[in-house]
Amino acid sequence: MGVVMPLNAETAQARTHQVVNEDSTDIALFVRSSQDDMLGWNRQRIVDALLRETFVDRDTAEKISKDIELTIQAGKVKTITGPLIREMVNAKLLEMGLEEARRMHTRLGVPLYDVDQLLVQHNKENANVPHGPEATNLTLAEGIKKEYALLHVFSPDVADAHLSGDLHLHDLGFIDRPYCSGQSLEYIKKFGLNLPHALSMAKPAKHAEVLLAHMVKFAASLQSHFAGAIGWDAINLFYAPYLEELDDNGVKQLAQMMIYEFSQQAVARGGQAIFSDVNIYWEVPKHFEDVPAIGPGGEYTGKTYREYEKQAQRFAWALFEVYKEGDAAGRPFFFPKPLVHITEKFFKTDGHMDFLHHICEVASVKGNTYFVFDRGDTAKISECCRLSFKLEASDLKDAKKPWKMRYSALQNVTINLPRLAFKAQGDDTRLFALLTEKIQLAAKAHGQKKKFIERLMSLGKGGPLSLLAMDLDGEPYLKLHKCSYLIGMVGLNELIRVHLGQELHDSDESIKFGLKVIAHMNIVCNKLAESMGMKFVLEQTPAESTAFRFAKLDLAHFNAEAEKVVQGNREKGEVYYSNSTLFNVGATMSPIARVEKEGLFHPLIEAGSITHIWLGEAQPDKEALATFVINVFKYTQNDQIAFSPEFTACLACGKTSRGLSETCPYCESRNVDGITRITGYFTKISSWNKGKLGELHDRYRNSDRFNN
Amino acid sequence: MPLIKGFLETSFIDWPGKLCAILFVGGCNFRCPFCHNHPLVLAPEGMETIAFAEILSRLAARKNWLAGVCISGGEPTLSPGLPTMIARLKAEGWAVKLDTNGTRPEVLSQLLADNLLDMVAMDVKTVLEQEKYAHCAGGAVDLGAIRESIDLLRDSGVPHEFRMTIVPSLHTEEDIVAWAQQFDRSSSRLTLQNFNPRTTLDVRYENEVVFGPEIFSRLSGLVA
Repeated sequence: MGVVMPLNAETAQARTHQVVNEDSTDIALFVRSSQDDMLGWNRQRIVDALLRETFVDRDTAEKISKDIELTIQAGKVKTITGPLIREMVNAKLLEMGLEEARRMHTRLGVPLYDVDQLLVQHNKENANVPHGPEATNLTLAEGIKKEYALLHVFSPDVADAHLSGDLHLHDLGFIDRPYCSGQSLEYIKKFGLNLPHALSMAKPAKHAEVLLAHMVKFAASLQSHFAGAIGWDAINLFYAPYLEELDDNGVKQLAQMMIYEFSQQAVARGGQAIFSDVNIYWEVPKHFEDVPAIGPGGEYTGKTYREYEKQAQRFAWALFEVYKEGDAAGRPFFFPKPLVHITEKFFKTDGHMDFLHHICEVASVKGNTYFVFDRGDTAKISECCRLSFKLEASDLKDAKKPWKMRYSALQNVTINLPRLAFKAQGDDTRLFALLTEKIQLAAKAHGQKKKFIERLMSLGKGGPLSLLAMDLDGEPYLKLHKCSYLIGMVGLNELIRVHLGQELHDSDESIKFGLKVIAHMNIVCNKLAESMGMKFVLEQTPAESTAFRFAKLDLAHFNAEAEKVVQGNREKGEVYYSNSTLFNVGATMSPIARVEKEGLFHPLIEAGSITHIWLGEAQPDKEALATFVINVFKYTQNDQIAFSPEFTACLACGKTSRGLSETCPYCESRNVDGITRITGYFTKISSWNKGKLGELHDRYRNSDRFNN
Repeated sequence: MPLIKGFLETSFIDWPGKLCAILFVGGCNFRCPFCHNHPLVLAPEGMETIAFAEILSRLAARKNWLAGVCISGGEPTLSPGLPTMIARLKAEGWAVKLDTNGTRPEVLSQLLADNLLDMVAMDVKTVLEQEKYAHCAGGAVDLGAIRESIDLLRDSGVPHEFRMTIVPSLHTEEDIVAWAQQFDRSSSRLTLQNFNPRTTLDVRYENEVVFGPEIFSRLSGLVA
């Protein structure tokens, strides 16, 4: 019999075995069970499963099993599978109107045809997943966990809202993991590599290279416990105490090893590179200045981090030298993403202009640099495509013991904004009421995920999340009470277009209304946070596939309305909504106007935002870029920017050229692939979903000189 | 006033070291077959004109951001109103860069004398030989005027660059070397630009093969 593996699967199986021979009939029929053997037909197994998994009474269960037996006898088959019997029972339950029992008795699985397709064809939901046996394992497992989540973790109203495209529950296939994690290197510097269930345990590293090995392995373990990004705070500073023994070549070598290690980790989960971020500071951040530094062997060095400024700067410089060179074929490194924090103190720190030119040159040549703006006293760590965590008073206290600084968002739920406008039909009150309703539903989804993760965490170190339960510093690695719950949005621009007949870039009025929408979301989040005791924060969802999915679903279910506002190419099916609060990517807007106007939304989006400047093939002047970056810091509210060049990688000659071309400019081969940022990260265009391909085509690259 | 046919508010590439705005003036006395701004050359009257007043107000809003304004074309020095336009920009505090083909040394000389230019980029299409130049510029060219403009810039003390767009069927390696030797490299910056076959004035050039990136970078090294 196919068994849905509940968490207490072992006991369920034990019970099955007890009843095996009590009531067998002697039909010469073999059942291919889901436990890899052939069992003789036993009607009792149906009864047992129904009693174990559902609330139907014994007489009903007996009756169903007898009916099924008759049907099978009438069919004269020799072998029947467990899943088929289960489906027959389900049909019976439906026939009898026992819908809840049918739901509980569901078998999760995949049709043969789908598996065949999957093993052969490339899944493009996430461009960071290559095609291969590990990737198909991931997709199959994700498929089942996703069904499980929708049936068993979330209530039917939440699941329906996801399936119909009112909301998107991200990473359902990773239902048993939190969303993302940001941490400090200090944890492994202090405790070594001491993971639950590991075959061996390592003491704190004594040398920089060993520390790197620990970091990479720890990141891989974290990847297998979180759905998304793994971020590292102030990485150059925390390496600094290990660098005194290294000369400049040694530091460069270390930088090279780190970047190659993270960009080549495509051997980990699902063949997926670890979505890794490293936060970099030119200065010693204020909150670390007086913190005692941990050095080789996990010992305090007797100095504070203030004294490691020069070493930290050496490492930061070397990292960007490596980014500038790119990989062996001259392509930009996809991971780890370097996030440089531009702060008030940055500008007061010696050598900052040289460093700014250095990282702007990387931005121009390869595009890697993310410029994160922390104005005033804000301190934050950033990760994922745009997610950042602002450090609060209690965190700044933790900063004295940096190994305690770790942050996680438990889940991300995104709201389909254009659909609300379709339903509101121009009525403001109705629009805001619908929006509130959806945020409440998203919060409900978060509550359900929280309960589920709590259940897994309560099993402690013997449970499935032992890594997150490890408590080397007296607290579980995952601090559940401090987790954030993200509420994202897709298609503000299209909501405005439906509701006001204009897009965000068309008028100040539409921007004003857009701000009202996001401010409302913010207020509702805060109210719900208070009443539910959970930290709900807005995030600009990266929406790599959600922007496509929502547009597709709306074209199917709200065709008349959606047809008018969906972006992209409908004939080719390359449709999308604008990401989050971003303006139309194709609008002829100068980069200044874009950072300024998109930046107006950023202060309302606590978990982080970004403005992309698409550069195409133009290679900008590094000093011009530096001026631009400084001005963004001084004159706008923008949270984060990145410049995205485009490249053509030739699969024939292995060389990389600037711009997207159909043939390689070196060898004229047509066997080429494009490379640029899909949402918050660089990847190969051949792996993009159709929605993002539509967006790529539309992107304004600051080169159209005669239409503005 | 020169007719402004195009405006890009933020350019990261047109003024070395500076973030600038760039305006495009319609009309040109050259017919370079590889020109990719050809609507501006052949049919500027078909393009919408942007009012100078509008440009000034858009620029004013970007005072904090931009380091200057680049005037390009077409060939801006053909417009009698150019000095007035530049004077107006200067009066509003803008640094001004001029892109020119050097065929109007008298205009250039006056602008330099009046201290109206902060940077000049002059396209010198090839070596100063009539046949070759005519080929590149799509017609006979007064090389004396070109020579005069080069000398004016050399002696001006104003930062300037001489640049050449290179096309395999028009420029040999010897041409490129000889081209570079025409200038005083201690005071002038020299740059090569690789020609872009995407859309060209003479459509035959759209099928032209460009210098590959390696060759281009080697050739650029010859003039650096």
